[in-house]
Amino acid sequence: MVQTTDPVTREIVKNALMSAADTMALTVVRTARSAVIKHGMDFSTALFTADGQQVAQGLTLPPHLGSMAPALEGVMNAFGDDVQPGDVFANNDPYEGASHLPDIFLFKPIFANDTLMGWSCCIGHQTDIGGRVAGGNACDNIEIYQEGLILPPLKLYSKGELNQAVWRILEKNVRVPEKVLGDVQALLAAVRFGERDLLRLVDEYGFEELKSYMIDILDTTERLTRAEISNLPQGEWEFSDYIDNDGIDPQPIEIHAKLKIQGDEVFVDFEGTSPQAKGSINPNFAYTKSNVYAVVKCLIDPAIQSNSGFFRPFNITAPEGCFVNPQHPAPVAARGLAGFRICHTMFGAMAKAMPGKVPAAWGGGEIGVSFGGYDKNRKAWVYLEFMNDGPRGGGPNMDGGDGLSSPVLNMANTPIESIEADQPLLIERFGLYPDTGGAGEYRGGLGLIRDYRVLADEAVFQLRSDRTDFLPWGVDGGKPGAPTRNYLNPDTDLEELPGKKLMTLKKGDLYRVIQAGGGGYGDPLKRDVSAVLDDVEQEKLSVPHARDEYGVVIDQDTLKLDQPATEALRAEMAKERRE
Amino acid sequence: MTEYRVGADIGGTFTDVVFLGSDGTVLAKKIASTPDDYSRAVLDGINACIEELGVSPGSVSEVSHGFTVATNAIIEQKGASTALITTEGFRDILELRRNRVPTLYDLYYQKPPTLVKRQLRLEVRERLNFRGEVLQPLDTADVDEAVQKIKMAGVESVAVCLLHSYANPEHERYIGKVVREQLPDVILTLSSELLPEMKEYERTSTTVINGYVRPVVERYMISLTKGLEEMGVGVPLSVMQSNGGLATSAIAMEKPVYCIESGPAAGVVGAFHLGNRLGMGNLMTLDMGGTTAKASIIENREILQAPEYEVGGGISVGHRLLRGSGHILRVPSIDLAEVGAGGGSIASVDSSGSIRVGPQSSGAVPGPACYQQGGRDATVTDSDVMLGYLNPKHLLGGDFPLDKELAVDAVSRNVASPLGISDIEAAHGIHLLVNSNMARALRAVSSERGRDPRRFVLFSFGGGGPVHAAGLAEMLDITRIVVPPFPGVFSSFGLLVADVEHHFVQTYFKTFDELIVPDLADLLEGLWEQGRKQLSLEGFDDSNQEVVTQVDMKYEGQVSDLTVMMPAGKVTQQTITALGEAYAEEHEKSFGYRTDAPYQLVNLRVIARGHSPVSRVPDRLEIPTLASQDGQAERPVYFGPSNGWLDTKVVDRSGVAGGSNGSSGGSSGASGPLIIEEYDSTTVVPPGWRASVDQWRNIILER
Repeated sequence: MVQTTDPVTREIVKNALMSAADTMALTVVRTARSAVIKHGMDFSTALFTADGQQVAQGLTLPPHLGSMAPALEGVMNAFGDDVQPGDVFANNDPYEGASHLPDIFLFKPIFANDTLMGWSCCIGHQTDIGGRVAGGNACDNIEIYQEGLILPPLKLYSKGELNQAVWRILEKNVRVPEKVLGDVQALLAAVRFGERDLLRLVDEYGFEELKSYMIDILDTTERLTRAEISNLPQGEWEFSDYIDNDGIDPQPIEIHAKLKIQGDEVFVDFEGTSPQAKGSINPNFAYTKSNVYAVVKCLIDPAIQSNSGFFRPFNITAPEGCFVNPQHPAPVAARGLAGFRICHTMFGAMAKAMPGKVPAAWGGGEIGVSFGGYDKNRKAWVYLEFMNDGPRGGGPNMDGGDGLSSPVLNMANTPIESIEADQPLLIERFGLYPDTGGAGEYRGGLGLIRDYRVLADEAVFQLRSDRTDFLPWGVDGGKPGAPTRNYLNPDTDLEELPGKKLMTLKKGDLYRVIQAGGGGYGDPLKRDVSAVLDDVEQEKLSVPHARDEYGVVIDQDTLKLDQPATEALRAEMAKERRE
Repeated sequence: MTEYRVGADIGGTFTDVVFLGSDGTVLAKKIASTPDDYSRAVLDGINACIEELGVSPGSVSEVSHGFTVATNAIIEQKGASTALITTEGFRDILELRRNRVPTLYDLYYQKPPTLVKRQLRLEVRERLNFRGEVLQPLDTADVDEAVQKIKMAGVESVAVCLLHSYANPEHERYIGKVVREQLPDVILTLSSELLPEMKEYERTSTTVINGYVRPVVERYMISLTKGLEEMGVGVPLSVMQSNGGLATSAIAMEKPVYCIESGPAAGVVGAFHLGNRLGMGNLMTLDMGGTTAKASIIENREILQAPEYEVGGGISVGHRLLRGSGHILRVPSIDLAEVGAGGGSIASVDSSGSIRVGPQSSGAVPGPACYQQGGRDATVTDSDVMLGYLNPKHLLGGDFPLDKELAVDAVSRNVASPLGISDIEAAHGIHLLVNSNMARALRAVSSERGRDPRRFVLFSFGGGGPVHAAGLAEMLDITRIVVPPFPGVFSSFGLLVADVEHHFVQTYFKTFDELIVPDLADLLEGLWEQGRKQLSLEGFDDSNQEVVTQVDMKYEGQVSDLTVMMPAGKVTQQTITALGEAYAEEHEKSFGYRTDAPYQLVNLRVIARGHSPVSRVPDRLEIPTLASQDGQAERPVYFGPSNGWLDTKVVDRSGVAGGSNGSSGGSSGASGPLIIEEYDSTTVVPPGWRASVDQWRNIILER
């Protein structure tokens, strides 16, 4: 039964639903125990209709776009009609709709007068989920069983009663139970707030009317998305980007996307992508889709709601068993890396579709590190850090932000003083690394350098990084950004590490990472000379780099520009290029 | 002789001046701000009031001030050239910030430019750990080299912020000594003196901002003081701080970071004091201006404070998870949630047929279509004129006539036609939607913090607040509203009733197991003494000093902390036990659970308040009555589809008390529909609400 809805009330209901989802998100931020959730913001909240359509999402992580609906579907498939007031369902099984094991999804069914009205949902990335390696993000697992505790769709609460068995199993299978259980508590508090707020709306508008408005909100979002898509250029474009390797097999992994924009729909086919990897950087298909949604969102009106209506005009396909649609029991824990590369592939295709509108690839190298061990009292400690993906690529008409997060990431870093107060680590350097941005009329952003010294007797160190071989691409003549570099003890007995590594560090060891820079945009020889000089004065570019990449001659001692020499050098470089 | 206390608040568009006489007389003036020299509008306004009241400048007994000079210096990047000295390896902390991006999916986002150029961020070798232990001694040759570079660069201001200096200030002090010796004319700010608190970006940013704005604020304060003296007003000048307390101009000049964006704070403080008078301890304030609306909460007679805020970021959607658009300032400030919803907010229809209202604003120029300044967009003010809420001939006592035809045209073209609805339905839709946007700000300070908005009285001011208050209250199930006297210049009024207040902080990162009670007691004694000393300097004797202690705490391992009150008196083991229980209660109240994890202290905060020996809130107010400008005592007003157009009586504040609009009004007050028009604002009383005026001249709306 569809009742009549009016556009003003619809907007007001939409606002109220968004407020509810935001209240949930703030509850998680304020109560979480771990840095991953609190500063990394690696969680999301949402409200769903009774039949599993996402009607409002709290602001958080773009790669979670649309990831909750498949996980809820997994719950619905497993439990059918056995959904009772007071239940709370959990799911972290990537092969039953969830994402990767550290992401625990919670779903609370919401009942109004004994009738299912909707669902209140949260995902939170846990600091640890057991398995072979602390932090749950190891690249070199070869099957999902090594990755940690699998929670298939199950009732964490049944009719208001906590399932002690599940709680105890979770407690005993993770290395830092106080953090994990604390974070799950935070998620539970949030789904309860979601329920409370949705029930208030039922009180205010009535059951049937609210249902009608929720459907109307979804349809409106779909109309808006279709209208925006039909304004994009029509046609077909293809692009490939690559992952260096999965940390086990040395060969690169190709992600190939064929993008078609036809009428008001987007078609993306990943035919031609490499087979699923042995190691755990595989993204499950739901995650692949989330990243496609996020890219398109950057190119149309970003104010469009993140609800199920937005996802409807997308047709995303990938052969089963290919890298972006892996099959059981492929490991998927470190799939965050692949998600970013899917974004790069999509942006590469979009750069062809919309010349002059899409910047060069952002850099960063998708760095995730974890340090873990046991203190003197045999108490486990784990420090997990994802270094913000970025810096941004150059252009159009602006330089890529130095050390700035990509547009699909909303992570904050953790204060160094807090890290050092809480963990047996010393961060000895954190800053921009000169000359790493891809040269261009609009240069790529500089990557970051960060040094970690281990203060514990021993620490298991796990590194996941990329962009050592396949660099962040430039656009329209812009050069690629500099590669990612990983070093052990650079100032004493320097050892260059591969991009993916699991090893034990000793007290006093120093790990250094230099992130890949962003790609450049346009011809470096067209870069404004004063912009190059300013970069050199700021010590963001070295004098030799300015000369070799931009043909700008600057005196090393006085930092004065040599205008005639610059003109001559630029002319010569242009001539060499023609020959 | 009647003495006058003067409040002067500078806003982006208007400077408001309020004179409050010892006999309760109030005079308010709203005049255009003078961005080339903000002190001019303040002086002009004070002069105009003196003339209008026909009194001598000597009858002004004090001047309290809220200003935006520091904020503008940051936004316009017109602060002092500043250098930063920091620990080797960390000069980019200021530029990298916390790296959160405030707008997702935005390919063209750029960070605000740093206030110190990279080549002036100088590194010295030294290293402390979080306990303050020296891991690497300070390299004095590096210090000399840095100071030489600064000398060559010829900067006005130097900020020093080393890693973990909150735990051990020695290295910063040494650098400070060298800077003072070598560069005696340069302004120096040490982070360990300004803000001995953990978190390096927040501390660096705050220290840098202090150095960056200090010369600007000094020049402004000196020029204003001189202007006042020349006028014959020779009384001390107080300045509102972001935390809602007044400070002397000396403090404002030394630590200007405490006084940035003081105007919005003043309004909340005014609400707090009037609320106390009325016996209302739980208030939500709503300050609706031209571009944004700001909400805050007062609970159990406490103003809610936030430990930090951002300056110069601009308003997008006012979302609390989208941080990082401005420069962070880690100083206590009144916790305000701001949304881009004001009288100038623009309404439009997107391609799916949805109406959007704000956050884009028509600004002061061209302003709403009805302002006759060439604006073509439909705005909230245009819809309020069409609905009959605003009298086109009445704004600012008729000095500012509005054109209703232009309003109708804009709403019709931009909203009604695209949606295929009538003009009045469109106007009403815009009104409801801007209310719904403001409701998000009110929810941000209440339900998003686990507080039920229905328990609060809505205290509404700003030019547009009283127009929208009743509709907004209905949306949140609030049943009581206070519209204070002079709602349009209420922030200036707040300046007049605020107390003196100073905040001190010290990081003390210890679990309950680790802390040593006598050490903690000594540390707190020191902070209390600092507070008392400051208040004594300002002339408050012991009986008028109040010193309270707050503690930022968390469960060990948790990342976010909560602030709880520390029981008063000497610190003993009992105090610590009570503190733990207070924290657990607050945690449960905010988040719905407690755990048995150990308690972790993070920061100690001491607030020193100086109370005026006599109440600063007058017992009664004499408000000049305004005759309705065109003598129109009744007009048709639209109250939604269920009520339609109703002939509605128009009165001024003094006409409410005994007023009745034809219905049986009861013993006092009047039933809606009713419009209450004043010099600086209009209060809309819809059907179902009753309006009355209390002895302090507040309009009280109830339903």
